[in-house]
Amino acid sequence: MTDLLGPLFTAFTLPFMARALLVLLALSLVAGVVGVLVNLRSLEFISDGLTHSVFPGIAIGFVWGGREGLFVGAMVAALLAAVVLTVITRRAVSGDAAIAIVFTAMFSVGILVVSRQSNYAGQLEQLLFGRLLTVTATEVVQTLVICAIALLLVGVTLKQQVYRAFDRTAVAAAGYRPLLLDLVLNIAIALVVVAASSAVGNLLVLAVLIVPGAVARLITVRLWLLFPLAAGFAALCAWLGLALGFEASVRAGIDLPSGATVVLVLVAGYLLVLLVRVLVDRMRRRPPAAPAAEPQPTAVTA
Amino acid sequence: MPAPLALSVTGASFAYAQTPALTGIDFDLVAGEAIALIGPNGSGKSTLLKGILGLIHRTAGTVRVLGHDTAPAGSVGYVPQTDELDPEFPVSLEQVVMMGRYRQLGWLRLPGAKDRRAVAAALDTVGLAHRAKTRFGELSGGQQQRGLLARAVAAGPRLLLLDEPFNGLDQSNREALVGTVERLKADGVAVLVSTHDLELARAVCESVLLLNGHQVAFGPRDEVLTLENVQRTFHEVGVELDQHTLVVPGHEGH
Repeated sequence: MTDLLGPLFTAFTLPFMARALLVLLALSLVAGVVGVLVNLRSLEFISDGLTHSVFPGIAIGFVWGGREGLFVGAMVAALLAAVVLTVITRRAVSGDAAIAIVFTAMFSVGILVVSRQSNYAGQLEQLLFGRLLTVTATEVVQTLVICAIALLLVGVTLKQQVYRAFDRTAVAAAGYRPLLLDLVLNIAIALVVVAASSAVGNLLVLAVLIVPGAVARLITVRLWLLFPLAAGFAALCAWLGLALGFEASVRAGIDLPSGATVVLVLVAGYLLVLLVRVLVDRMRRRPPAAPAAEPQPTAVTA
Repeated sequence: MPAPLALSVTGASFAYAQTPALTGIDFDLVAGEAIALIGPNGSGKSTLLKGILGLIHRTAGTVRVLGHDTAPAGSVGYVPQTDELDPEFPVSLEQVVMMGRYRQLGWLRLPGAKDRRAVAAALDTVGLAHRAKTRFGELSGGQQQRGLLARAVAAGPRLLLLDEPFNGLDQSNREALVGTVERLKADGVAVLVSTHDLELARAVCESVLLLNGHQVAFGPRDEVLTLENVQRTFHEVGVELDQHTLVVPGHEGH
């Protein structure tokens, strides 16, 4: 048993693995909570828009200040994108089309900026797919601070965000400003994107945001249980994914990109939960077996 | 002493973007009374309710809610049509009603014993205390409507706006809803309710406002609900008027 469980713990005695785990656990907590709101509000597409829109900020930050410039560039782009996307989804006749136009344009700007660099391919790969195992102590602190801010924003408005997700008109009638609530949530999503970009990469951030919330919805219909379930599921998958990538590299010599491995474990977990849910639903729908025919009393004669 | 004015609408018009939706609205509603908004589908009933809430652009006139230009936060209850809500949303009836308390709770405070008592009382008022833990989407349409009314009651509103609350309700749900509205009025709550149902208008409303893109007529219920006015409202010469319903040939949901 110890041999089986050992790899789940021993890998994290290495400082770079411990840093990666710490980053992912912080991300799991905040992405779990924010992801449930994304699910309840059906904001998957706008989240996708935000991940793509942050990319030019990451690229410009990287070109301008190297790795240290990443967070600054990403933060500026994220906040700008959150405001722009919040406004256009409220004002545009076709919100989805507007989001698609903005995010593809922003993403193209990012590609153009990175393509001016000499080692274009290698840098683009890092930005798109992350570099989880090389995060520095400074980046860990930055990630923790950004996650804390996102969690604070969502935590303070959580009741109202749920109310907004359930009944948009009534929440406005109650005197809340839906635009303000939308802006706060979109900024929180953008902060998760920034925090997750250096770890799992810009292209895979969406999975971290969306899969845990979707899994929680499959497991329970109890509102306040969704949030710890999503965060717990994300944390478990992060831990398993990191350990799996490490073991594959050390024991089998297979070099798995850690960000993508974590995302695949998340998706595998989702498929497993989905399968269990389908089976449980089928068993519940199955009509109860017809009761066995009562044995007919046998006439007994004395 | 006359009852205080809860809502005063003067020469008001409303529009979606640049498209006019409703024009020439003039009426007053006092505390403890109810007005029925009656008109065909698309006549502007929901538009008027949302315009009063400030959710739709007003292009002319004035709307004063409880003496203010904008509805004071937490003093107006709104009960939407249940088909605007996601039936799969993972929330219990009790949690929906608790949403009505959020305004009193503020941003940071969690619900306490006082809030739970208010929710229980609101559920009692609409006769759904026994379904408190049931998922909202599993309730019947009528029970959902009563649940949303309980949410508005829990907020302690002084003005209540109801959007087609009687659509598709069976007799027991209708009676429960009428009873609740009567009790709220007795407590001094002003009620504005959009409906196709004359039984509701006669049972709980002192006044009627007929709409069809503009105000056709407004006044005391029995003076306004004439066959001529109703035919003008529905643009149907074949309209019939009996004690309970508007009968408009080919018109849904009368």
